[in-house]
Amino acid sequence: MLELLFLLPMIAGLAALFLPANFGRGLLIVAALFHFQLSIMAWMDKLPIYTADYFAKTPAGMLVLLVTSFIFLCISFYAVSYIRESKVENESVFVGCMLLFLGTMSMVTIADHPIVLWIAIEATTLVSAPLIFLHRSKEALEATWKYVLICSVGIALALLGCFFITLSVDIAEIDVPLTFSSLNLVAAQLDPLWLKVGFIFIIIGFGTKMGLAPMHTWLPDAHSEAPSPASALLSGALLNCAFLGVYRAHTLMHLAGLGDFSSNLLIGFGLLSMFVAGIFILRQADYKRMLAYSSIENMGIIAFGVGIGGFALYGAILHMIHHSLIKSSLFLSAGNILLGFQTKLVTELGCLVKYFPKTFFSFFAGFIGISGLPPFGIFISELFILIGAFQSGHPVFAMLFMFALLLVVAGAAQIVTDISFSENETSAIRGEESLLRTVPPYVLLLASIILCIWMPTEMYDTILNTIKTLGGTIHG
Amino acid sequence: MINLNDAVLVIILLTILLSLASNRLLSLVKNMAIQGFMVSLIPLLLERHSSIGSGGLIFFQVMILIKAVLIPGLLYVALKRISIKREIEPIVGYHASLFAGLVIILLSIFITDKLHLSVPDGNEMLLTTAITTMSAGFFLMMSRRKAITQVIGYLMLENGIYLVGTALTKHSHTIYVVEFGVLLDLLVGVMIMGIIMHNINHAYDDIDTDRLNRLKD
Repeated sequence: MLELLFLLPMIAGLAALFLPANFGRGLLIVAALFHFQLSIMAWMDKLPIYTADYFAKTPAGMLVLLVTSFIFLCISFYAVSYIRESKVENESVFVGCMLLFLGTMSMVTIADHPIVLWIAIEATTLVSAPLIFLHRSKEALEATWKYVLICSVGIALALLGCFFITLSVDIAEIDVPLTFSSLNLVAAQLDPLWLKVGFIFIIIGFGTKMGLAPMHTWLPDAHSEAPSPASALLSGALLNCAFLGVYRAHTLMHLAGLGDFSSNLLIGFGLLSMFVAGIFILRQADYKRMLAYSSIENMGIIAFGVGIGGFALYGAILHMIHHSLIKSSLFLSAGNILLGFQTKLVTELGCLVKYFPKTFFSFFAGFIGISGLPPFGIFISELFILIGAFQSGHPVFAMLFMFALLLVVAGAAQIVTDISFSENETSAIRGEESLLRTVPPYVLLLASIILCIWMPTEMYDTILNTIKTLGGTIHG
Repeated sequence: MINLNDAVLVIILLTILLSLASNRLLSLVKNMAIQGFMVSLIPLLLERHSSIGSGGLIFFQVMILIKAVLIPGLLYVALKRISIKREIEPIVGYHASLFAGLVIILLSIFITDKLHLSVPDGNEMLLTTAITTMSAGFFLMMSRRKAITQVIGYLMLENGIYLVGTALTKHSHTIYVVEFGVLLDLLVGVMIMGIIMHNINHAYDDIDTDRLNRLKD
């Protein structure tokens, strides 16, 4: 049954909270493997749905689910090695919350009822908060407090948005079950005014969680203070889940004939996020914060692409997949650097290429990927979005888009080259590059390259199905 | 029936004004307990809900338990562990806050009037109260420095959103499993906020959020 996708990791997570720590590590990997298998089975239509009132299989959800499950599998191997090498006091809390986090994210991907979607997204905030606070420093404390409070308030507004959408159903006096899939069918009859109001609240609410500027203030703190496996999950998987919430609402708006309204909002938030990230990334002193700002930028790119629609929509979906793979790889490499040098400040680092060659290679390759250079997938997706923007008659937006990309690449390039090649006198280097920690970043990068050259037909069809409802196309 | 309904709404408005004017943290928590209880009563008092089945009755009991007992209880426990009893130096003073509360009520009446919304029962007072509760929650969050007051502001915001939901949507949409999920999220949220608050107090000997200023750009 499809519900196993979230029930299995949740039960495993609850069990891990009470089991002895050594047992938990094994459980983490076993549960990740099982979850990956279940996701594949869900793709092959082997899992029937028992509670169709609340859950459904949608193409967009399936894409996010597969990416999440794959990333989690890679991270679980990394996490086992990470726990062993960094002193984690509450190991069972870490393992338990990681699994609960996976469970709640899977619930987001298959939720079909707006309020169930809301419950799942709020639950991701709650179970990931202990992960951010894992190292118990004052900085981590501050980051966790900001994360929980800002996200909870933001997501509360999204609940209000869901109520307004319900109101638009009531005013139109239609009797349908309250699920996105059945609302999509009657979208044209819904009350447009309250649908618009609802969308504004939803984009502010879930946009907070997605890291869209100006609601992004919690993101750099939380992503930089969390332990690296958790940062990789927050950036690579959680942001997509929040995006899915916005995407569902946008689809509903589009079908209701209000696509222009929601597209313009998405384009506006997208460009603003890109510029804010571009400005803050310049001269950033902390390399994990740099990666966090890059996530804000990439979420902006996705929102922009979805807003433009058509050709760019295909690019946006591709971008979501490749960003997840590359960014989580980068955060894992950053975790290796942090374990090796024991500092997050760029000025105290240098000569990564000499001390940790394997980590250097994955970190630098990840940087090339995230900057949008071939052979990684972001090159293709950004090209699609750009072409889409020109094609649909938005040359000004396309120019702004390119300029923001340049800003971010310039800022990131300086930091990455400083870390990699500068001749700083560095101290406190310790530890070996253990195999378990160096391989997962490579696997994630490789997945991005492979998807670039050869994409399975099922996946390609699913992407086409996803964008079909929004009028997206890849044939110009 | 209608009168009782209005009486409950007036009590909710009074709790809001009291929370804005009070500087003792303990009385704030007590206020929240009363408000939570009254907010949970509203759906029961609305006439269109008179045909509540046994599942519904159990759900409303659980809701009263969570909103009026468990959540204030958690806040009370958090407060007991912290040595701070009063909110000193709020960003906006108490008299000004009280005045702001009155302005918020007036604005809410104005907004409700302007919306020209056919509220399912024509119950405009409920919508006014809902908007007031939400805005007052936001105001409380922004105008106070202590972490616990901000959590209380968040709870007030949630109460307001719940009231909007009750006022605007039809009963037929209510699925108790879903509503219970929302409540559970709220409860766990307050629990986690309580734990973080305890740690903030431990690290800084205070729960002043102004001290959380290490992470900046």
